Amino acid sequence: MNVTPRSAAAIMSLSLAAAVLAGCSEQAAGGNDTAAGGSAACDPSAVKLVGQVRNESNPYEASWLAGGDAFAKSVGLTQERLTYDGDSTKQQEQISQILAGDTKCLVMNVLPNGDSDTAPIVKGADQAGAYLVTQWNKPADLKPADYKTWLSHITYNGVESGQQIGDALATAIGGSGGIIALQGVLDTAAAKDRFVGLQNSLKKNTGVTLLDQQAANFSRAEALTVTKTLLTKHGDKVKGIWAANDDMALGALEALQQAGKAGKVAVVGIDAVPDAVSAVKAGTMTATVSSDGSWQGGIGLAIGFCAATGKLKVEDIAAANRAFFAEQFLITKDNAAEFAAPKTNPADFECGNVFNRVAGPLT
Amino acid sequence: MTVTSEVVNAPRRQSRRGASFRDAGPPVALIVIFLIFAALSPQFRSTDNVQNIVDAAAVLAVVTCGITFVLMMGSIDLSAAGVMGACALTVSLLVANNRNDNDFGLLGIAVAVLLGCAFGCVSGLALVLLKVPSFMATLGMSAVGLGVATLMFAGVQPNISDTMVKGLAIERFLGFSYLTWIAAVCILVGWLIQRYTRLGRYAFAIGGAEEVLLLSGVKVNPYKVAVFALAGAFYGLGGVMVTSQLGAGLVQAGDGYDFSAITAAVVGGTLLTGGRGGILHSAVGVMLVMVLTNGLVQIGVSPYWQGGVEGLIVVAAVAAAVIPQRRRNQVVK
Repeated sequence: MNVTPRSAAAIMSLSLAAAVLAGCSEQAAGGNDTAAGGSAACDPSAVKLVGQVRNESNPYEASWLAGGDAFAKSVGLTQERLTYDGDSTKQQEQISQILAGDTKCLVMNVLPNGDSDTAPIVKGADQAGAYLVTQWNKPADLKPADYKTWLSHITYNGVESGQQIGDALATAIGGSGGIIALQGVLDTAAAKDRFVGLQNSLKKNTGVTLLDQQAANFSRAEALTVTKTLLTKHGDKVKGIWAANDDMALGALEALQQAGKAGKVAVVGIDAVPDAVSAVKAGTMTATVSSDGSWQGGIGLAIGFCAATGKLKVEDIAAANRAFFAEQFLITKDNAAEFAAPKTNPADFECGNVFNRVAGPLT
Repeated sequence: MTVTSEVVNAPRRQSRRGASFRDAGPPVALIVIFLIFAALSPQFRSTDNVQNIVDAAAVLAVVTCGITFVLMMGSIDLSAAGVMGACALTVSLLVANNRNDNDFGLLGIAVAVLLGCAFGCVSGLALVLLKVPSFMATLGMSAVGLGVATLMFAGVQPNISDTMVKGLAIERFLGFSYLTWIAAVCILVGWLIQRYTRLGRYAFAIGGAEEVLLLSGVKVNPYKVAVFALAGAFYGLGGVMVTSQLGAGLVQAGDGYDFSAITAAVVGGTLLTGGRGGILHSAVGVMLVMVLTNGLVQIGVSPYWQGGVEGLIVVAAVAAAVIPQRRRNQVVK
């Protein structure tokens, strides 16, 4: 039993050293070391904020960048906006360019193009000591908890959103009747999770029967054709249409109009694209689900800003908050107006509140 | 295919019996497949569903009309997706919409079709003047079209409010939507061009034996450009029709139509080597493809299987159709 005393001694001497270091840094008030993840705390005005998304030409990512700007403005900074046109190589180039500069107080809120793009971004940021928050895409075995400056990974639970709209659809058709489902690209995680959500909802709403399910590959045009075919196949038995995204829901709405059934069949989707939100507002669509893009744009920068300025210590962030599902919102006719114009709430971005929307740990 | 690299084929034997056997393949396949689905599914043979199949075929039929002329000439055209996207955005921004105050109605449609025609014209000029193979020229044109469409898209999707344009997909005449009648007129016009005009006859001749035409002193280049321009106009109209169906101008309006149209044309008996087939063949091919997609859904084939099953049936249908002319179909090599 001569191992334990040795390791105990090692731990003691390490903690002693840490205490001494901490003491030193406290004495050097306003100096350059409050030991957050091994690097110095930054003056708020010295923090550099970077938001990176695919492009500014779709409403969702435009609202993301606008949310980032709103947060930056609230702390007297500006956000550097980067877009990579859905091109993985371009994204990596932009990241290495940013990391080649001054990375001491750098905060990045990044939407990786795909799962495989996350690893090099994380490694680069870790080496440079830049604070990083990623969203949507990461491989399952890559965990923020294993890194010092990769603060958090935020994503959304597709099973939950699929179930939310499934339940909304069941309510809209009065709890009984036939529905049809339009699936996304069958081999994507989003399509699989959302459809599992629908199946969960069907277990709960026993009066609702799934008449048919077809893949329309997240496409408006394919959804139009498929829906028309399914409407002739099942006729008036179809009371509702569940679509795995809003584009397909909008295609289904066109199909209903062409079949002379507009308003007689309830339609739900996910993503809250502007056309869908206005359709929900107008009552032609029953529900959609929003991840709140402007919050996503602000929150990544806010978490990074709090860590960089020392208000949030990396080691204090609960394990469940290092990779989590964020809360998403069901949009129905009642609240559609609030979502028609995306806006941010500054209180969401205060350091004590940045993890308020954690809906559950990412498993 | 450039003028100089055109393959010269030995004079073919023309057997009347062979010709009729060859032409009968696809229609027979269409009837057989239709009957099989009709036997398996009562919904499939309902009037509603037959109307639905014909309506769903409208856009593909128009695009296939365009591509058929190019294929008859022995060239290939992959520009449909881009040209349709650009024309879809153009028409949606020119008729009454939520982005601007334009309300040009029919004129907007005409401009979109002319734009498609211009795109085709550029492809054709690249082929005859710059000697770019049609495969590359049209693929490039498709990218240009998508680029133009993305510029016009500018982050906000144009939704059309023009009742005339939207009505084309919704209003019906004798049980079929107006789009279907437009497609029928396109097939008729295409057939008349193919049958009775110099353009149509030369397109056949260029595909069959360009060398012979050249030696006879025919200047083929203007006809080549005209064929691509004609095809572009059909794609432009296809883009307008998609916009009418979806009620919005989408950059992806023509997604997948390039290859579906080539598939439909080949299934119908138009050869990729040129000189064979025609508009009516392609129309049969379009119906075959649409009956197949619709039928697989109606008889309840799982979506996880559909793609594969559809592919297999298409390959089988083409194989059956080309067996009588195996020698001629050099692309098979």
